Amino acid sequence: MLIRNIAYFFKEAMRSIVRNGWMSFASVAVVTVTLLILGSFMLLNINVEQITQEIKDQVEIVVYLDEELAGSEVEQLRVAVIQLPQVEEVRYVSKEQALARLQSQLGELVAGYEEEGRNPLRDSFEIRTKIPEDIPAVAQTLQTLPGIARVDYGTDVVEKLFRFTGAVRWVGLAFMGGLAFTALFLIANTIKLTVNARAKEIMIMKWVGATEWFIRWPFVIEGVLLGGIGALLPALALFYLYHEVVAWTKVNLFFLPLVPPQMVLVSITKLLLLIGITIGGLGSLLSMRRFLKV
Amino acid sequence: MIDMQHVNMVYPNSVGALKDINFSVERGEFVFIVGSSGAGKSTLIRLIGREFLPTSGSIRVFGKEITRLRRREIPLFRRSIGVVFQDFRLLEKRTVYDNVAFAMQVVGASPREIRRRVPEALEMVGLAGKAKRKPDELSGGEQQRVCLARAIINQPSLIIADEPTGNLDPQTSLGIVDLLKTINIRGTTVIMATHAKDIVDRMKQRVVVLENGKIVSDEQKGGYSHHAH
Ligand SMILES: Nc1ncnc2c1ncn2[C@@H]1O[C@H](COP(=O)(O)OP(=O)(O)OP(=O)(O)O)[C@@H](O)[C@H]1O
Ligand SMILES: [Mg+2]
Repeated sequence: MLIRNIAYFFKEAMRSIVRNGWMSFASVAVVTVTLLILGSFMLLNINVEQITQEIKDQVEIVVYLDEELAGSEVEQLRVAVIQLPQVEEVRYVSKEQALARLQSQLGELVAGYEEEGRNPLRDSFEIRTKIPEDIPAVAQTLQTLPGIARVDYGTDVVEKLFRFTGAVRWVGLAFMGGLAFTALFLIANTIKLTVNARAKEIMIMKWVGATEWFIRWPFVIEGVLLGGIGALLPALALFYLYHEVVAWTKVNLFFLPLVPPQMVLVSITKLLLLIGITIGGLGSLLSMRRFLKV
Repeated sequence: MIDMQHVNMVYPNSVGALKDINFSVERGEFVFIVGSSGAGKSTLIRLIGREFLPTSGSIRVFGKEITRLRRREIPLFRRSIGVVFQDFRLLEKRTVYDNVAFAMQVVGASPREIRRRVPEALEMVGLAGKAKRKPDELSGGEQQRVCLARAIINQPSLIIADEPTGNLDPQTSLGIVDLLKTINIRGTTVIMATHAKDIVDRMKQRVVVLENGKIVSDEQKGGYSHHAH
């Protein structure tokens, strides 16, 4: 492609954007709003993902042992558990250790249980699986082993959590796909109007022998510019807003482990730009198709 | 230069517009296509410009079968023909100069070449002094001259014109046809569809008469009056 052609394409694209000022403004606004929602949703999704991961990592199975179990039987059981393929780690917690832990958490409230025979707790195993999703299955297996009084892993909570994060992911993807499609459609319509306004020009170009790509490029560049500007604005907004949100959370909700801005913002900016440019370019190609016949 | 063999054209939902047309034009000829309204003149002109394909038959232009041109070959083919329309089709927002330069820009001519050739073409059509005007500041005849300058700017060897004087008064029309004749004398083949009886009679060029999609007469140095209405 000739350099003077490139200059011509950009000049034509800019001229058209300026000439159709309001329309250009409208389509940039549409892309901006769409990508702002999209970007916020991505950030939300990343953080939900991170928080559930954190929770998942903390979930473990607690197995309470029968009281009359001898030391060697406890050891046998421990070996049986560690040999389950999904199991990562088994920790033995004696009832004395459990009591001490409780006392360090609750203090005075549980004083006076140290004497022999007064400790109401049981010896237990704390078991971690290699992946959190295996917990329900492992818990079921453990229930069938002899010498185990009770298996506890917060059944409901864990299963609901897994179902919830799965749903969030799919709904999020569908939602984002829908938004991107809407933006594509709107840009295509905007460019279609600018193409319409220049139908005569396009026809003359065809009659004097302009190639199809020569006719297309200014419109594609126009779409790419509109999409790109439409992506840059929400990227800047998110950059600023997310920094604020993370700073605020650090002070007010310090236990909520948000993903640090520097880890996500660059890739989100790139992604938004890519989406904006693709939507713009694709939108104008789609709206050009009809006009290039003849 | 142009050779049509057994060309039939049937538009969708319509009777045949052209029926078994056999017709050829040599390099350097000036040909009028005449006939009553609906006879098929425009259809013939548009087929030569490869605006659409005939229903059947062969159309060779510059020795090339244009019914078999690939899509991306069409622009290159169009560069070798100049087209003049009844309704001028100028860009209202651009000056006379830009309207002509535009045709060079879109085929990738260099700015130097454009600066050299556009004034030449405007000079040739007698508009040298009006380069900076917009189309709506010109008379109809002048607008058609701009259109002619645009048609010749890429130095085509063939010009096709569909009623180029259809919107002009007789005196102005004569000026346009004289200009086409001048272009023709310099070596460009011209095919022009028209209803302008006086002009056809006066020019003494080849006249092809169409009637209901058929060629009913084809005479060198013909006239309009004996045939059509
Ligand atoms: N796009 C079209 N679709 C269907 N039929 C058409 C189309 N264009 C022309 N026709 C028909 O084809 C026939 C020839 O039309 P054409 O335009 O070639 O005539 P013409 O000789 O140029 O007439 P005029 O002198 O009025 O311009 C007419 O019957 C017309 O109705
Ligand atoms: Mg006609």
